[in-house]
Amino acid sequence: MSVYPQLVSGVTSQFPIVKQRRPRTVVNAAADGSSIKLADPAGETVGWQLQYANLSDTELAALQQFFTEMEGSLNSFTFLDPAANLLAWSEDLTNAVWQAAPFLTLSGGVADPLGGSNAWQLANSGEGPQALTQTLNAPASYTYCFSVYAFSSQPVTIQLQLGRNSAQAALNSRWGRVQIAGTGDATASSVEFGIELPAGATVTVFGPQVEAQPSPSAYKTGTTGGVYANARFRDDALTLTSTDVNHHSATVNIFYANSL
Amino acid sequence: MASFPTLKTSAVAQYPATKVVAFQNQVVRFVDGTEQRYRDSAGPLHHWVIRLNELDETEMATLEQFLESNQGSFGSFSFTDPWDNQTYSNCSFASDAMDLTSVEEMRGKASVTVKENRA
Repeated sequence: MSVYPQLVSGVTSQFPIVKQRRPRTVVNAAADGSSIKLADPAGETVGWQLQYANLSDTELAALQQFFTEMEGSLNSFTFLDPAANLLAWSEDLTNAVWQAAPFLTLSGGVADPLGGSNAWQLANSGEGPQALTQTLNAPASYTYCFSVYAFSSQPVTIQLQLGRNSAQAALNSRWGRVQIAGTGDATASSVEFGIELPAGATVTVFGPQVEAQPSPSAYKTGTTGGVYANARFRDDALTLTSTDVNHHSATVNIFYANSL
Repeated sequence: MASFPTLKTSAVAQYPATKVVAFQNQVVRFVDGTEQRYRDSAGPLHHWVIRLNELDETEMATLEQFLESNQGSFGSFSFTDPWDNQTYSNCSFASDAMDLTSVEEMRGKASVTVKENRA
C-alpha cells in the first residue's frame, strides 16, 4: 500500500488544516417539523485540505512524484490524519483494539488531569513486566510521537514502546506527560505502541496519543483512530506554485469514504 | 441521553451566537384577498448556530467525537440554551457535516448548527 509522504520536518501537513467529517443520514422531513431518520454508517466521508507553504525542492518533488504515482484520484493510499489521535479508543483501554498482558488489571473511571474521569489505573500483579499495547497498520518508516499522561503514588519507572524503540520514564505522585518519538521498523507494515509496567507496579494513565510528528500536541480523544488505509486525492489536478528559489506552495485535497 | 459538550471554560457557545425560534404556519389565500391562517405544527422549534474560535485540539477532538458518536444528524442529545439556560432534551445536529479548521497550534475553529427536534 502506498503511503502519503511526510515532509522533511517529520510532519504530514502545515497549518492551516481544514478537516470535514461527514456522516450520512437519510431524512424524511414532515411538514410539521418532525422527521424520520435513518443512519447510513457506510456513507460517511472525511476530507482534509492541506495547505503547504515554503516547501523545499525535495519536498515538492516528493509530493509531485506521489501524486503522479497515484494518478490523481485513481489510486488509494494510506493517510494519517494530522488532526487526530492515531490511536483508537484512547479512553477505553479495555476495548478490543488494545492488547493487555494477562497479569495487567485495568480499572476505569479514575479522575484525569483534564477534569474528567477518563483515566485508568493499571496494576501489574505478575512477577515480570506487563504491557498494554495497540498496533497500528501504519507506515513504520514514519516519524511518530507516542505520549501519555501518567502518575504513580509510589516512584516507579515505566517503559514506553514505539515499534522496536523504547524509552524509560520515571513517574512520581503528580500527573506528568511522558513521551517517546522515533520511527518503527522500516521493513514492517505496522507499528506497536505501548506502556510496560515493571512487576508489582500500579500506575494511573490517561490520554494515550500517537501522532505522525516528532513531538506531541494537545491531547485529542477519539474512537476511530486516525489511520485511513484507502484515502485518495480528491482532484485529478495538483497545482504547484514556486514563490522563490527552493520555496514552493501547494494545496492538496484528500478524502476518505467508508464505502470505497 | 448525551449532552452537547461544553468548552473548557464550561461555556456552550461564543459570540456571535445565533438563536432562531421558528413557527410553522400555513396561509390559504382566497381570490377576494382574504386569507386564512392555521398552525401546521404543535409549537415553535428552536435552532442555534454555534461558531467557535480559539479552540484547542482537545476541544476540537471532543466536538468531532460527539458528531461521530451521534452519527451526524441521526442521533439526538440534550442541549442547554445559553441564552436562558433552558435544557432542550431532544436536539440534533442540523447537518451531517462538520468543518474543523486548525489555524495554528491551539487555535482551531468550528461552526455547528443544533436544532430542536419535534418530539
